Amino acid sequence: MPGKSFFVDTTVCTACRGCQVACKQWHGLPAEKTVNRGSYQNPADLSFVTYKLVRFEEVVVKKKLKWLFFADQCRHCLEPPCEMTADDPTAIFRDSATGAVLYTANTKKLDAQAVIDSCPYNIPRAAKDGTLAKCDMCIDRVENGLLPACVKTCPTGAMNFGSRKEMLALAKKRKAKVKGAKLLDAGDIRVIYMVTEDPKLYHKFAVASIGAFDVSRAVAMKRMVRPLTDLTARL
Amino acid sequence: MKITRREFVQISGATAAGLAVSGLGFDLWPVKSHAQMLKLKTKYAKETLTICPYCAVGCGAIVHTSKKGDGRVINIEGDPDHVISRGSLCAKGAGLSGLSENENRLLEPMYRAPYAKEWKTVSWDWALTEVAKRVKKTRDATFTKKNKKGQVVNRTTDIVSVGSAALDNEECWIYQALMRALGLVYIEHQARI
Amino acid sequence: MTNHWIDIGNSDCILISGSNAAENHPISFKYVVKAMRKGAKLISVDPRFTRTSSKADIFAPMRSGTDIALLGGMIKYILDNKLYNKKYVSAYTNAPFIVGKKFSFKNGLFSGYNRKARKYDKSTWAFAMDKKGVPKMDRGLKDPRCVFQLLKKHYSRYNTKLVSQITGTSEADLKKVYKAYTATGKTGKAGTIMYAMGWTQHTVGTQNIRTMAMIQLLLGNIGVAGGGVNALRGESNVQGSTDHCLLWHIWPGYLKTPRASNVSLAAYNKKWTPKSKDPISANWWQNYPKYSVSMLKSFFGDNATKAKAFGYNWLPKVDDGKAYSWLDLFDEMYKGTVKGFFAWGQNPACSGANAGKNRQAMKNLDWMVNVNIFDNETGSFWHGPGMNPSTIKTEVFMLPCCVSFEKEGSVTNSGRWSQWRYQGPKPLGNTKADGDIMMELGFKLKELYKKSGVFPEPIMNLKWDYMTNGMYDSHKVAKEINGYFLKNVDFPKKKKSFKKGQLVPSFAYLKADGSTSSGNWLYCNSYTEKGNMAARRGQEDAVNKIGLYPKFSWCWPVNRRIIYNRASVDLKGRPWDKKDWVVKWTGKKWIGDVPDGGWPPLGSLEKPNPKSKWAFIMRKHGHAQIFGPGRADGPFPEHYEPLECPIEKNFMSKERMNPTAAVYATDADAYLTCDPRYPLVGTTYRVVEHWQTGAMTRPQPWLLEMQPQVFVEMSEKLAKLKGIKNGERVLATSARGSLECTAIVTKRFKPFKIGKNVVHQVGFPWCFGWRWPETGKEESANLLTPAVGDPNTRIPETKAFMCNVSKL
Repeated sequence: MPGKSFFVDTTVCTACRGCQVACKQWHGLPAEKTVNRGSYQNPADLSFVTYKLVRFEEVVVKKKLKWLFFADQCRHCLEPPCEMTADDPTAIFRDSATGAVLYTANTKKLDAQAVIDSCPYNIPRAAKDGTLAKCDMCIDRVENGLLPACVKTCPTGAMNFGSRKEMLALAKKRKAKVKGAKLLDAGDIRVIYMVTEDPKLYHKFAVASIGAFDVSRAVAMKRMVRPLTDLTARL
Repeated sequence: MKITRREFVQISGATAAGLAVSGLGFDLWPVKSHAQMLKLKTKYAKETLTICPYCAVGCGAIVHTSKKGDGRVINIEGDPDHVISRGSLCAKGAGLSGLSENENRLLEPMYRAPYAKEWKTVSWDWALTEVAKRVKKTRDATFTKKNKKGQVVNRTTDIVSVGSAALDNEECWIYQALMRALGLVYIEHQARI
Repeated sequence: MTNHWIDIGNSDCILISGSNAAENHPISFKYVVKAMRKGAKLISVDPRFTRTSSKADIFAPMRSGTDIALLGGMIKYILDNKLYNKKYVSAYTNAPFIVGKKFSFKNGLFSGYNRKARKYDKSTWAFAMDKKGVPKMDRGLKDPRCVFQLLKKHYSRYNTKLVSQITGTSEADLKKVYKAYTATGKTGKAGTIMYAMGWTQHTVGTQNIRTMAMIQLLLGNIGVAGGGVNALRGESNVQGSTDHCLLWHIWPGYLKTPRASNVSLAAYNKKWTPKSKDPISANWWQNYPKYSVSMLKSFFGDNATKAKAFGYNWLPKVDDGKAYSWLDLFDEMYKGTVKGFFAWGQNPACSGANAGKNRQAMKNLDWMVNVNIFDNETGSFWHGPGMNPSTIKTEVFMLPCCVSFEKEGSVTNSGRWSQWRYQGPKPLGNTKADGDIMMELGFKLKELYKKSGVFPEPIMNLKWDYMTNGMYDSHKVAKEINGYFLKNVDFPKKKKSFKKGQLVPSFAYLKADGSTSSGNWLYCNSYTEKGNMAARRGQEDAVNKIGLYPKFSWCWPVNRRIIYNRASVDLKGRPWDKKDWVVKWTGKKWIGDVPDGGWPPLGSLEKPNPKSKWAFIMRKHGHAQIFGPGRADGPFPEHYEPLECPIEKNFMSKERMNPTAAVYATDADAYLTCDPRYPLVGTTYRVVEHWQTGAMTRPQPWLLEMQPQVFVEMSEKLAKLKGIKNGERVLATSARGSLECTAIVTKRFKPFKIGKNVVHQVGFPWCFGWRWPETGKEESANLLTPAVGDPNTRIPETKAFMCNVSKL
């Protein structure tokens, strides 16, 4: 599989949130007005102006306290349901060189909710006028030989980026070294997370779905896309 | 301060081809051209090295300053050749351009008179002249040549100073020299707290 | 730091305590992760489970203010299990020194205590000397009066059961920490400590750090790669500003501020130049007069003539035995004895302990100069909460400075690396570089004093020629700090000659006769005829490949990246650690890092090479101090409770608190211990998203977005007891003030069992203040903290105090 991928090793993420700010800085995105809701996680969720968000969860696993950090972003699916739902290459398309799933200003013309509902990872967000936005893989940087802003700034090697082959190899290597590590949906998406706990403990949408793999990923995703009512119910 | 990447695009006239550009400021193409601009930095942006002003890890950062427009910062990111940080920056460092390009910054000297309820904008020359007069008045009125034991001490304890670990080394040195020449002994800064 | 950031990656075990490096020094984790990937263990000891703890192999919770108990227990564990590096301890530390007969320790007090003065007579702690005036020693460490045996005796009381009662850490957790960390006592293994204000901001702060330094010496961890005692400094240039001594008690390069009793330059130099009778002791401070005179030459230039004692008498003297520290400064201001105040790049209305006292104190001033990038709570104190401007006389001059990358100059990081930074954009609007503001103020003062004034000599004679084309020139100052030859000078022994006007290559060439200048001897070698060393960008590592990068920037002293590195080798100059070695003797010379002096190895202890020197060259007797007779509160660290604590009795002795702590007595200084109104232990800390008081970060939308409000973290149990829900606003109170904040109810705080009682602890970030965000409702946690200080440093005890939290 050509193109690019991310490898996100959550086991070394310290939630310094350099990635979250680097993303805003590079894209010139404004800050949101927030309040402390009894958590470090802020903004509360992804939004039209927040493409990258570190999620914080305190959990107890086998009597041991864990503070889990999950640097959430668009997974750049190999077969993106959002692209299929939009069915308009001037609005949502895949960059042929990198595989980045890209949204343009023409997303304004789409049924925003349908696109949002189609995403197995609950990523796209709409502006008031219906325009959709999300992580663009820093496609401009990548095309100019630079790392995505979030990867460039990461101190510990939690965020990694490169050719899909390299990233899969790195993911495999790291998985072998970390006890209990698992890779999330690695075969279907370009942002491969490695976790050590039940993925649902990190974030409700850390994985697309469990147990849908008896059919090909693309078909499974299409199924998820088509009966929109089902998907809405799941959300 | 308001220079945006879009203005850069206008300067460059680049990247007209491709999909529609909406002018929203966050869509793909203006950003795309921004990266190209940085690549052509010698032409459009000055690249200078700095060290992050926050904690004392001393991470390296690259500051991209517009050579056109208003000469302000258009991007700051980690310096990959810095042997400690290797391009990394935390949340504060990654947002460094938000420090300099910030509408909350003080831009003019200000003065608050006794019992006044408001600030008054003043000139630098006035402010520094008046500060110097206050320093001299207080120093001359309170200067202690000898302490109670009769030992020569040549000091004033009525003027005090705190700061600063945020200054450059060279500034620290001249600041302490000036303060000590004035006879201050209450000279302290962040290292004490 | 004795070592530096990259070197953390060489460690085999990293103890992070009194620090939350993942949040406050985030990029340090690049090297923590690197070490861990090579098999290093990470230990996090903290009252609260932090982002650092989330990555640790071992997390051990402990009650704030009990570090000496916890670490004292580790000393006992090392000694009981013989885990120390005996060769290292015997050769390089003062463990073999015989302590004089007057020394004793009883009921929590060392010998020589005067309760009325709250001071020790330290002469009772002196070493026994031989006829030559060299300390008597037993290198076998068996003499019952030797430091090693006294150490054993002192810490024999620190058993895990007692330690657990004090700290609230379970015995199982204590043992896990002790076992993992002390494994680095093995030859070739290295353990490091990353600490910060969580250790210093206590009435026993200095002794907290000494306890760990003693552990590092016992384990042979000082001087080696991946070891050391590493203070993680909190500001970009707090190392440099300390080196240049913006502090009352020291002059640039850690020279002493003259006391009133130092009546002449000769008396001053004599008083502060240590003398050793031991020919094998380098006693580096014997060079003191060279550094003091060279510094005076930089102050006063050609006006600093020998006839005028190089201007020594122009500089102010402090009274013997009196402190002029931060806490004293604000105490005086509160009492109304201070008229003029410079707050330059600092925000004491939020950063100082008992910040409410500081804010009230500012009302007593005639004038204040506040230099900052943004308006802050200090400059605007007169219209802050509870203030009535129409009753406040203080004049305030608010001077806007530019940001660091709008000017040029150097900053010194925690690893002592001085790094040059350049100007990007010009200063925004009408802002100025701090250097320009200082220079212009200096010129204005010189102008005024030219006409008339009291004692104008120091002002008129101050060398003030650091301008180029009408602007402050940091290069000129950097060269002055390095120093010049002021006349042609020959060094026949070194076979070197220098011309007047040349930059001095290193402090080994400084002279006490006025023929050299150097604003700061420690920085002599930083800007030489070879150029601006701090601006270097060399990417190659040194021959030992341990990440020294000797040609990248410059570090003091003389570019030595790991200090005390003579202790990283055995007596023959062979590295303890064969793989990650720091220096190595080839038979002719040292290779690797810049050695702590070029002398050959000792050879043996019985008959040391007369050309050699003991390893710890900055100490008078050449040995690292397991016994520290210079400290105000005792030569061995002893556990005392914080000034405000939750228990009536110290489990360790009859002395509840540090008997020498610095306390203050204005009506703003309330201290309450075991008071039912304030049953909770409180502590303060920072978050990655804001910096210090937040004066630079709270006005930034991206950072405020992530941490918008001041909060208090508490356990689920405490929240239940108080009926507090996660995310609701609550009121925190202490004997000094109150603070409205958002409750974060978390699993990351757990109640402690202290003796038979359950003690709850809460924590507050101190990075907020009313000026930003503009709601005006987010205040400083230092409104709660007490102004009480460590007796050595007078650093306040903001990390352990008593408070309460209740529903609004």
